[in-house]
Amino acid sequence: MAAAVDQSNYHNLSFLDVDRTAQRVMAPAGLKYWLWVGFCAFLVAVGGSFWTRQIYEGLGVTGYGQPTLWAIYITDFVFWVGIAHSGTLISAVLFLFRTRWRTAVYRCAETMTVFAVLTAGLFPIVHLGRPWFFYWLCPYPNERYLQPDFRSPLTWDFFAISTYLTTSTLFLSMGLIPDIANQRDISIGWRKKFYSVLACGWQGTDRQWRNFSMAYLLLAGFATPLVLSVHSVVSWDFATMQTPGMHSTIFAPYFVAGAIFSGCAMVLTLIIPMRKMLHIEDLVTIWHLDSLAKVILLTSLVITYSYSTEAFLVYYAQDPIEMTTFYQRFFGHQGYLFGGMVLCNCLIPLLLFSPSIRTNTIWLFVISIFVNIGMWLERFVLIAGSLSVATIPSQWKFYVPKVTEVMITIASFGWFLMNFSLFTKFLPIVSMTELKEGVGWLRKSARNTYPYGKAS
Amino acid sequence: MSANRPASLGAAAARPIRQPVQLNWSRLTTIAVVLVAIGIVGTGAGIAVGDPRQVWLTWLVDLLFFVGIAQGGLIVSAGFYLTQGRWAGSTHYRLAESFWRFLPLGLVLFLGIVIGRNYIFPWIAHPVANKVKAQWLSAPFLLTRDFLALAWMTFVSWRFILISNTEEAVIWHHEPDTIEMPPVPVRRIAPLLAISYAIVWTLFAYDLISSLSPQWHSTLFGWWYFATVFWSAICTMSFTASRMRTLLPAGNMFTRGKVLHDLGKMIFAFSVFWMYLTFAQYIVIWYGDIPTETFFIIGRAWHHPWMLLTWLCPVLLWALPFSVLMGVKPKKTPAILGSVALLGMIGVWILHYILIVPSLFPDTLPLGWIELCVTAGFLGAFIFCAIPGLRQLAEVAVSDGLETSHEAPAPH
Amino acid sequence: MSGDIELIGVFSDDAQCAHAIEKLHHASIVEFHTFSPFPSEKMLEAVDEVREWGRSPVRKFVLAGGITGAITALVLTVGTSWEWNLNTGGRPIASITPYIVIIFEMMILFGVLGAVTSFFIKSGLPSFESATGYRTRFGADRFGLVVRTAESDSAKIEAMMREAGAEEVVREAA
Repeated sequence: MAAAVDQSNYHNLSFLDVDRTAQRVMAPAGLKYWLWVGFCAFLVAVGGSFWTRQIYEGLGVTGYGQPTLWAIYITDFVFWVGIAHSGTLISAVLFLFRTRWRTAVYRCAETMTVFAVLTAGLFPIVHLGRPWFFYWLCPYPNERYLQPDFRSPLTWDFFAISTYLTTSTLFLSMGLIPDIANQRDISIGWRKKFYSVLACGWQGTDRQWRNFSMAYLLLAGFATPLVLSVHSVVSWDFATMQTPGMHSTIFAPYFVAGAIFSGCAMVLTLIIPMRKMLHIEDLVTIWHLDSLAKVILLTSLVITYSYSTEAFLVYYAQDPIEMTTFYQRFFGHQGYLFGGMVLCNCLIPLLLFSPSIRTNTIWLFVISIFVNIGMWLERFVLIAGSLSVATIPSQWKFYVPKVTEVMITIASFGWFLMNFSLFTKFLPIVSMTELKEGVGWLRKSARNTYPYGKAS
Repeated sequence: MSANRPASLGAAAARPIRQPVQLNWSRLTTIAVVLVAIGIVGTGAGIAVGDPRQVWLTWLVDLLFFVGIAQGGLIVSAGFYLTQGRWAGSTHYRLAESFWRFLPLGLVLFLGIVIGRNYIFPWIAHPVANKVKAQWLSAPFLLTRDFLALAWMTFVSWRFILISNTEEAVIWHHEPDTIEMPPVPVRRIAPLLAISYAIVWTLFAYDLISSLSPQWHSTLFGWWYFATVFWSAICTMSFTASRMRTLLPAGNMFTRGKVLHDLGKMIFAFSVFWMYLTFAQYIVIWYGDIPTETFFIIGRAWHHPWMLLTWLCPVLLWALPFSVLMGVKPKKTPAILGSVALLGMIGVWILHYILIVPSLFPDTLPLGWIELCVTAGFLGAFIFCAIPGLRQLAEVAVSDGLETSHEAPAPH
Repeated sequence: MSGDIELIGVFSDDAQCAHAIEKLHHASIVEFHTFSPFPSEKMLEAVDEVREWGRSPVRKFVLAGGITGAITALVLTVGTSWEWNLNTGGRPIASITPYIVIIFEMMILFGVLGAVTSFFIKSGLPSFESATGYRTRFGADRFGLVVRTAESDSAKIEAMMREAGAEEVVREAA
C-alpha cells in the first residue's frame, strides 16, 4: 500500500453511512469469528488450570525465589495497566483538547481500557501466595481493629485501580447509551430486548443531551488527572522503595508516558487488522492511524529522555551500589533484555519520524508489535532485573520463568482478546454519535487531499 | 482568502486602509531604560560595597528566569504548530514569540556567570571528592558546555522565528478548517526546537541549579524544571494578552472568540501538571528518606528563614491558579487572568530564588537592595528586547481581529 | 386540554431545527421538546435560550461528590491512624503526604459516581415510556422538534417550521 493514496472518504459520508457501517460490524458472526473466540477461550482455560495448580501447590511452582520475589506477574500487571491508559488518554484527554481525530478510534481504545484493567486487576491476585485473602487490602478493620496501612503503596494501588476500573467502565457505558439506543431502534428479536434494557429508555431529547454533555465533560475532566495518578501510583510501588534501580523520582511521569506509549501501540495492533476485517476503512482512516503514530513517537521520545536521565544521574551521583545495578542492567547476565528494550522503545519508533512510514499500515502494525514487546521487557528489566541484583553480591540470582507463569501470561492475552472480540460483535465499537457530530466538519474540511499535501 | 495576503509580518503590515496601531511605546521604552540603568548601578555598587555572592547568585536567578520566559514562549509556539492549534489566527503564535529577542542578549549576559563563577559554584573552592564527578563539575567544562548549549538554542530559535514568519506559515495559521499539517519547514524545525529545549534545559537544571548542592540529585528535577519554565512563559503570555486586550483598539483578537479563555485553561492545566510533578518528586524523596536526597528539601521547606518563601511557591503556582481559574468567568475576565498570571510569574521567580540561593545561604535570607537592583536591570532589558515583538503582536492582533469580525468565532 | 395536538417537525439539518426553535421563541411558544442523534450545539443553545436553564445541574452534584469523597478519605486515613497509634518507620502517625494519594482517588471516585448518578436522575433515566413524537430516525439521521399546541394555532406553527426548513411536519393527536 503506497503512502498518501488512501484518501479521507469523509467528504461524501452521510449519517446513514455511519449507521450502516456500524451495523455491518455488528452483523451476526461467522464460523471464523467463533473459532477465534473459542481459541482465546481455550488459552484462558489453559492459564486457569495452571493457576489452579499454582494455588494448590503454592508459588514454588513458579521461578520465584530470593531475591526476586516480584517478577513476571507484577510485570504483567504493570503492562496491562499501561495498555489501559491510552484508552483514557484518547477518550478523555483528547476530548478536552477537542482533537478531531479521536472520534473514530476512541470507543475502541476505551473498550481496550476496561478489559485491560480487568486483566491487570487479576495479576496482583495471581501473584499472591494465598489469593483468597486478597480482600485484606480493602479498608476494613481486621479482628484486632487494625486498619490497612494507608501509607503502603499497595493500599494506594487498591484505591487507584478500583477507582480506575469504576471510572473507565462508567465512562464507556455512558458514552455507549446513545449508540445502544440507536441499535435498539433498528434491531429485532432478542437483540432488541438486550439493547432496550441497556439503553435505559434513551431518546436523545434536549434535556437528556444537555445533562449528557455536561456529565461527559466532567467525567473526561476527572478521568484525565485519574489516568496520571493511576500509573503514578503503580510507579510508586517501586519508586518509594530504596532498592537501587527502582528508587527514582522520575518514575511517575515516565511510567505515565510509557503507559500511553504502549497503549497507543496496542490500539494500532488491534485496529489495523480490525479495520481490514470489518471493512471500516471509511471510518478509521490513515489520518487517524497517522495521528496515533505521532502520539507514539512523542511518548517514545519521552521515555528515551527518561532512560537517558536515569543513566546520566547514575553517572552524576557516582553511588557505587547504583552504578553496579545499572552496570548489571546494561551489560550484565540479562543485559540483552535491556538491549532489546532500547531497540524496541527508543530506536525502532524513530522510524515514525517519516511520514511515509506513518501512513503505511504494514509498517505501523510491525512497529506497534515491537513497541508492545519492548514495553513488556522494560517492566521486566525494571522489576525482576533490579531485584536480581541485590545489595550483597552473594545473593544475586537471576530470575528465569517457568511454564506456569508463561502460560498464565499467555492466557492473559487470550482473556483480553476474547473479551474485546465479544464486545465488537455485540456493542458498537465505533462511536456513531460522535462521528455524526464530526461529519459536518469533516465533510467541509477533508478535501481530496491528505494532510501531507496533494494526493496523487 | 490567502491570495492577497502579504508576506511576513502578518496580514496587517501591508494593508493600506488601516492606520498602524497607536500605542505609547516610548513610555515603555523609557521605563525599560531606567530599569536597566538601576540594574547597572546596582550591580556595580553590589560588587563594590555589598556581597558579590548576592550579586552573582541573583544574576543567575534572573538569567534563568528571563531567558526561560523568552525560550519557553517559543516552545509554546512550537507546541501550537505540532498540535495544529489554529484558534486565533497568527495572534497566539506572535504572542508566544514576542519575547524571543531576549535570547541573544541572554547569551551575552551568560558571561556574568563566567565572571562570577567563584561566587556561584561552591565546588570550585571545595572540589568534590569523587574524581569522575569532579571532572563533570569542573568550571571550564561546565561553563563551555552550557554556553554552547545556550548558543545552540538561540540559533535554533532564530531559525524557528524566521520560518514561523514566512508567508506559508501565516497562510496556514488562517485556515483553521483544514486538517492540513503545517508547512514542511515548520514540521522540521518545531520538533527540533522542542527536543533541544528538553535536553538543554535539563542540562541547565543540573549544572546551574542542582550542582550548587553537589551531593543532591533527583532524576525528575530536569523535567520538573523545564515544565516550570514552560509554565512561566504561558503566564507571561496571558499577562500580556490581558493587558493588550484593553490597550488595543476595540475588536482586537484578544476580545474575540475564546482567546483569553483558552490561555486561562492553559495556565490552569499546566499549573496542575506542575503540582503533579512537584508532588511526584516530593513523595518519592519523602518515602525514601535518604539523607542525600532529603537535605535539599528540608533546609528549604522546614527551616527558617526559607520556609515561608518556599511554601509561597505552591500557593502562587498551583493553589491560586487552581482555585481562582476553575470557573469559566474568571478565565475570561482580563483583570483576574492578568493578576493570576502576574502572581504566577512572581512565584516562578521566587521558585528560582529558593532553588539557587539557599545552597549558599542556608541560614540567612539575603534579600535586599542588591537583589532588587539586579532584577530591575534584567526586567528592563527584557522589556526593552520585547518591545519590537510586542509591536508586531499589536499589529497582528488588530488585523486578525478585523478579519474574523465577519466570521463566526474560529472553532477549536 | 382537550383538542390539543402534537406537531412533529422533521429536519435534516440541525441548524434549521435550531432556527425553527428561535422562530417559536419569538412567537412565545415555549412548550416543545427536541430529538437529535447527537448533541448538536446549535440546537442546545437555541433551547437553552428559551428555557434559560443555564448550565446543567450535574456539575453541582459532581462538586458535592468530590468534596464528600475527599473528606471521607481524610477521615478514614487520619482517623484510623489516630485510633491505632502504630509507629511505622518513624513516620508521623497521620502522614498527610501519602494520604493525599488516597484522598485524591476517593475524590475522583465519588465525583464520578456523582456525575453518573445525577446524569441519570436529571435526564429522567431509566425511563419506561416514550416521549411523545419519537421516531426511530431521530436516533439515526433526522432532528425532531415536537410542539404541543391547540388545534387553532397549528397551521401557524406548521408554517413556521416549514419556513425554517422542515422536511415534513406530522400532526398527531395528543
